[in-house]
Amino acid sequence: MSRFEIYSPEGLRVDGRRWNELRSFNCSINTHPNAADGSSYLEQGNNKIITLVTGPQEPASRSQVNTKQASLSVTINLTKFAKMERSKSSHKNERRTLEWQTSLVRTFEKNLMLHLYPRTSIDVQVHVLQLDGGILGAMLNGITLALIDAGIAMYDFVSGVSVGLYDTTPLLDLNSLEENAMSSVTIGTVGKSEKLSLLLVEDKVPLDRLESVMAIGIAGTHRIRDLMDKELRKHGKTRVENLTN
Amino acid sequence: MAKDIEISNSESKFILEALKLKQRLDGRACDQFRDVEIELGEAYGDVTVTMGKTKVQCRISCEVAQPYEDRPFEGLFHITTETTPMAGAQFENGNNTGEEEVLISRMIEKAVRRSGALDVEGLCIIAGSKCWSLRADVHFLDCDGGLIDASCIAVMTALLHFKKPDVTVLGEKVTVHPVDEREPVSLGVLHVPVCVTFSFFNPDDTEENIKGEHNGEISIIDASLKEELLRDGVLTVTLNKNREVVQVSKAGGLPMDALSLIDCCHKAYGIVEKITDQIQRAIKQDSIARNQYAHILSSENARES
Repeated sequence: MSRFEIYSPEGLRVDGRRWNELRSFNCSINTHPNAADGSSYLEQGNNKIITLVTGPQEPASRSQVNTKQASLSVTINLTKFAKMERSKSSHKNERRTLEWQTSLVRTFEKNLMLHLYPRTSIDVQVHVLQLDGGILGAMLNGITLALIDAGIAMYDFVSGVSVGLYDTTPLLDLNSLEENAMSSVTIGTVGKSEKLSLLLVEDKVPLDRLESVMAIGIAGTHRIRDLMDKELRKHGKTRVENLTN
Repeated sequence: MAKDIEISNSESKFILEALKLKQRLDGRACDQFRDVEIELGEAYGDVTVTMGKTKVQCRISCEVAQPYEDRPFEGLFHITTETTPMAGAQFENGNNTGEEEVLISRMIEKAVRRSGALDVEGLCIIAGSKCWSLRADVHFLDCDGGLIDASCIAVMTALLHFKKPDVTVLGEKVTVHPVDEREPVSLGVLHVPVCVTFSFFNPDDTEENIKGEHNGEISIIDASLKEELLRDGVLTVTLNKNREVVQVSKAGGLPMDALSLIDCCHKAYGIVEKITDQIQRAIKQDSIARNQYAHILSSENARES
């Protein structure tokens, strides 16, 4: 059916990667210092997302005040021009978007030290400028970076990636062409551990193959964690230099 | 706005302490699914599933409609979930955009519709102009946890039970034969996905959970409402009898070790096998009960085979 060869016998994928290779990963933090308390810009392949974190701040209304811990909210703005074809709707109240938002909130609720900021709210906005598969994983990475930039206490990095299963070969970090052609698994790992904060399997995966798919995913998320860590340290270094000069 | 149900401190402490000793309020073991009761109604496609105090009803109906332009060979299939305060005070009337409601309806949709459990091509009558539009209405009558699991069983049983009126096509003319005139036909169900929900509790502090090697998290199957309110994390696994993982959803919550999650999937498979058998048995019994006079009414002669 497809004109493309998803995974060639030589072991190459549509964009020329091998099965265990990530897409190009670029990130920067503190991109919008005036607009928000923490911000990040992330490119994972052709995914391009901007994340803004405001807070901890006073909640907009008194009814939202939680006396025990900060209340976290995530808003996803999937722009109309994010896909190949311009979409008519703003995706704002789509169930899929709502589900993503809840998943992200629930993931970060357990990985942030929210109890340190009672009676406050932390608001995260994710703007998806370009969409190319594995967006949930990319959003996890983007939010992690922005939260770190905002200086909110976290236990560890949360890094995410998607893995597909093509016949019997697991393929790491799917782009949208691959994502449409096979079943995909999104994994969100905490730090360098094997603890999964988020695990979403969509479409059929044989039960006995799940383990190998997850193993590749965990390795991928650890790699992404290292890449993010490198960028953060670089950023920190330049900041210190600017201060001392 | 609907009021969230809250649980008193002493009760929550009691439940959590009991869980640490592997005891649950209703006396079940940690990996024990509640007994499922499947009740088939008079009409085709009317199913009530009871699991403990949880009660879910599913009703399937169909009508002739026009297929989508980009999919002329496929019929339409929608699942609507109705949450009313009847199920519990935590649900609002006429508002299905709450977090919990969206998650429940998305999960059922993914488990049943997107996994291709129903053969939608079999709903086509005339390509591009006429098809069956099938609708599954799920009503939550009572909620004591495990709504996703119960509604998935209800929808799948209802799809297996439902029969659509027979049609004959002559050129462009479609005749729908009423059920009392001609035997209605079953739907094409390709596989039976069953959801199993695990709830996770953290007996230690958060740091131990994230950094520790201990993996002391408690996981229980098929939580009741009180356990659901107290849990730190949730995992819903949807499997079918062919050892295929249809859908797994662990949307945040307590970080869990990858191996223990896989272990959960394997545990779920045993339960899925059992429930699938139970569904098939219920359907079979119903069809025997409906056709008990068939052999008297039949004009066929007994044949040597």
